[in-house]
Amino acid sequence: MITRARHLHDDRLVDCYLAERHGEALDPPVAEHLSDCESCGARYLALSQFMDALRDEADAETDALFTPERLRAQQQQIARRLAGVGRPARVISFPRRIVRRTITASTSRMAPRWVAATAAAGLFVGVALGAGYEWGARVRTGWQGFAATSGITRPPRVTPIPTRVAAPPDVADDAFLSELEIALERPHTRELQAFDAFTPHVREISDQSR
Amino acid sequence: MSDMRTFPEAASARPDAEAPAAPLSAGPRGRRTGAAPLSNDSRIAVDIRGLVERGEMDEARDRFGELVALHQRRASRIAYQYLRDAGEADEAVQDAFVKVFTHLTSYRETWPFEVWFTRILINGCLDRRKARTRRDRWFVPGEPSSADEARLAATDAAPDPERRLLARERRARLAAAVERLDGRQRAVFTLCHYGDCTPREVSAMTGLNESTVRVHLFRAARKLRGLLGGKP
Repeated sequence: MITRARHLHDDRLVDCYLAERHGEALDPPVAEHLSDCESCGARYLALSQFMDALRDEADAETDALFTPERLRAQQQQIARRLAGVGRPARVISFPRRIVRRTITASTSRMAPRWVAATAAAGLFVGVALGAGYEWGARVRTGWQGFAATSGITRPPRVTPIPTRVAAPPDVADDAFLSELEIALERPHTRELQAFDAFTPHVREISDQSR
Repeated sequence: MSDMRTFPEAASARPDAEAPAAPLSAGPRGRRTGAAPLSNDSRIAVDIRGLVERGEMDEARDRFGELVALHQRRASRIAYQYLRDAGEADEAVQDAFVKVFTHLTSYRETWPFEVWFTRILINGCLDRRKARTRRDRWFVPGEPSSADEARLAATDAAPDPERRLLARERRARLAAAVERLDGRQRAVFTLCHYGDCTPREVSAMTGLNESTVRVHLFRAARKLRGLLGGKP
């Protein structure tokens, strides 16, 4: 009885693909099977095409991105970064004046003294400024108080608004009262109209008096 | 899916870590077996190490330029696939090279230089991804660099705007699919597929067992085919 060899599993096909790509010899029985079995041969071909297409696509993309110019620039950048490797580190002296001096007991005590003196000067200036500002404010308010008590007035800064000519009192009163009445007749004061009815109107009183 | 998962032996991938005890056996592309001659980059690295140890720093820096030229493109490709930002990938590559130079005295030739360097690079990339996640937690996540977009558009071979748009969409879809891979799967896939590393080399870089690397790679390929519907 003739038994056909089993079909190759996918992982064997991937192994074959890798071996072929890296120039390795295929396992002879596997190579034989691939050439004999149509189905496995077709599967292997499909796998190879798929993998090759993936690779070609990726290669095209990276070749487009990493052009020779870019790679050259990258080389230069690497060279620049390596230029400092292995060279002794440069020590930057800071601050130069203090470094030049030999540190003695007197100079070591110099820094705290300077700090204290600067802090004291700053405090003094701050207090003086604050006091001056306060004094200035007092002087201003004191002048106003003095002026109020002594009757001295400063000339007004703004030009006076011209005053209106006063209307005769009766006319003004009438106008005011009529405005009141109009206001009372408005809808929102309707609830007060009952009280209004009991109350004698100014107009009536004035008419009677005339 | 854990983006931030590092490899079990991630700490040993630091530049000052010791090389693995067992030397890597031969790779098909001239990788060294036990007593096989050093690969070109490893030989240069050993020379530079000697120069650094003798204090001839200027000469060492000049020779290091050769190593940079040898690995720069591949490193940029790997870093970009990890970070998906050309500027950040650029910085990661620079950092990796600077770190390699400053720790070159700890390099042992029992380990191919490529493997040692790639470990340093991917650890740097993982650190950057972590930092970005932390940043994105507090700030609005940044959009992909518009300069990258412009560069891609400018260098796109397709003259037809419709084709360019389709290519951009395809890339975005592909990037999103790779992003959805598990952290280890993504790392293994990136190193094997974009970094041209063999499973054995990936095993040395990540500290994973070689068979585990193969399993991760197979799962990554299967998942990607599922996500992308069989074609990228």
